[in-house]
Amino acid sequence: MSSGQPSRGPALSVVREVAPDEAGLPDRALDWSICMARAQEGDRDAYRRLLEQIAPYLRFLAGRRMGRGSDVEDAVQDVLLTLHAVRHTYDPARPFGPWLVAIANRRIVDSLRRRGRSAARETPLEPEHETFAALETNFSEAAAEARALREAVESLPPGQREAIRLLKLKEMSLNEAAAASGVSVAALKVATHRALKNLRKLLGSEAK
Amino acid sequence: MITTPDLIESLAAKAAPVRRLAPIASACGWLAFAALILGLMVIGHQLRPDLAMRLAQPEFVRGIAGALATGVLAAIAAFLASVPGRSRAWLLLPLPALLVWTATLGYGCLSNWVSLAPGSLPFGDEAGCFALLALTGVPLSLVMLIMLRHAARLAPTAVGILGGLAVAGMTATVLSLFHAHDASVLVLAWNLGTALLLVALGGLFGRRMLAWVAP
Repeated sequence: MSSGQPSRGPALSVVREVAPDEAGLPDRALDWSICMARAQEGDRDAYRRLLEQIAPYLRFLAGRRMGRGSDVEDAVQDVLLTLHAVRHTYDPARPFGPWLVAIANRRIVDSLRRRGRSAARETPLEPEHETFAALETNFSEAAAEARALREAVESLPPGQREAIRLLKLKEMSLNEAAAASGVSVAALKVATHRALKNLRKLLGSEAK
Repeated sequence: MITTPDLIESLAAKAAPVRRLAPIASACGWLAFAALILGLMVIGHQLRPDLAMRLAQPEFVRGIAGALATGVLAAIAAFLASVPGRSRAWLLLPLPALLVWTATLGYGCLSNWVSLAPGSLPFGDEAGCFALLALTGVPLSLVMLIMLRHAARLAPTAVGILGGLAVAGMTATVLSLFHAHDASVLVLAWNLGTALLLVALGGLFGRRMLAWVAP
């Protein structure tokens, strides 16, 4: 049985600013190993520094498997959350790289599976699915409700209908409406009150 | 959606000290629990009456040793395989013991089958056998599930299968110690049937069960 010890141990020379290469980890693995060991003991600064440093590397790993897209960032966050949940499984005597890559690969594969599942079942709502550019044309329920309201207003007695038309639809003040229709302000108030009561009855009974 | 820098900040703020996982020590803990269950069984139940006689038979000893070794090695392998970054080759650790176990059972079954008169399959107390199985299998499975909950988001299926195999090896050992089956075909059916059942359960529901106990 192999013990799974990777042959490549981390080099002792710490080289800064090494871009993650195709083969795997940059040479910062030893730094990360020390940071992780400190994080396990509760050192928050070391932990924050570690997470900030591995995030670009995780983004690179996820991007290589998933291509460009918004879910790459989701996968990175998923890896970070998983790493946080299982941080007690890291053994500082062992190299940090394989531990991190194993977690990252597992979570990235799961993200890809999730993406495959949702792609098989869901169709995204694209701009071309809309009939007209104007927003209100795409709300069919709102259009149906507006028609019902118009019909209800039409079925009111003439005095009440006129009061609603002037005061609510044309949004006139009571004095303006009184001048326009030749009806007193008090009569307009009464007509509006009755009209609203009737409308409420009409629309409420339809809803049932 | 939370941004990655914010997430890092919140995780760093929650970085309480943790106790490092020692997979071998955890496996030993689980095995100690299995030994405890076995001890309680010995106190609570009667060992099979012909145990002393059977222990003198090399075939029986080989079968029981195979089952026990499968259980022990599968438990160690499950805990090692649950650690990210460990070699996947650990998954094969219980394989030699499993081969010895099944080969012994299969060979005993074959030689016994020839000498068995047709239609005279002697059935024992099968309900008692099942009760014994549940009494050992359920607590062992639950404890293993809780001890391995960190594997929920890492390798749930492989760890589930190994966990099932570990529980199966232990329950088979207990069954052999307590339950006298006269026909080795029944021994085979009980031992391998249990093993297949537990491994299948571990493989099928390992992911869901681990997610259920996961933090």
